Amino acid sequence: MKLIRAEKDQFTFGLNQRERELLFQILKMFPLIPPSHHQLSKTGKARPEDQRLLDEAVAEQRGENAKRVQAFLDEPGKFREIQNEIQFSLALAEIEWLLQVLNDVRVGAWLALGEPEEFALPKIEKNNARYFFAMEVSGHFQVELLAALGHDQSNYFGKS
Amino acid sequence: MPEIAVPLALPHVTPEKKTRSKSKLDSAWLVICWNDPVNLMVYVTHVFQIVFGWKREKAEFHMKQVHNLGKSVLARATMEKAEHYVHQLQKYALHATMEPEE
Repeated sequence: MKLIRAEKDQFTFGLNQRERELLFQILKMFPLIPPSHHQLSKTGKARPEDQRLLDEAVAEQRGENAKRVQAFLDEPGKFREIQNEIQFSLALAEIEWLLQVLNDVRVGAWLALGEPEEFALPKIEKNNARYFFAMEVSGHFQVELLAALGHDQSNYFGKS
Repeated sequence: MPEIAVPLALPHVTPEKKTRSKSKLDSAWLVICWNDPVNLMVYVTHVFQIVFGWKREKAEFHMKQVHNLGKSVLARATMEKAEHYVHQLQKYALHATMEPEE
């Protein structure tokens, strides 16, 4: 995937057929983070009613993003084939929710793999291969979207 | 010169009722981002810029703290504001919590 042009808050990207299929497969995995994952306090000092409010807010926001994903996948004419390339446009707000969705899939896959350290990833096997796939592919699209916003990945040296 | 006696009239003060929730709301909370090694550094920087409106340099400073130290205190705020920040960061699937300032 590459940025073709950016005009005001509209960004047009180009990708090939295989990349489009990968993007669709990744988006269909959303949401991947278990609902109980988000905690207000690490030390258990938040009140239960505040935790409940956070749970409700997270559930609502995930529901909204799930609807956005479905609309994105179903929107007729969103992806246009131009000279052997598939092009689609995103507004700035769409890039933000796409980043949220992609990172949900990436973090959710990492959690499913047992939260491994960067250099201690488990062996790829039949039962966990989809999570490796999800981590790598969602990361690829995140980098491309962030590059379109002016974030140069080469300035960094790894993961946070 | 004779002294003039000034009547001492203390205002009637009703003892303030302190509730647990009121004091918790008023006290300071720290918004902390913890290191999840899966998050891309460029992504974490971007999210800090969006959520807090920071310039890139400040966002990168805190991102590097998360990366190198395992966590970074991003804000000191009231309970309500801290909850808002935590929710915004969790929307982006970052590992953020709020803890009372000791």
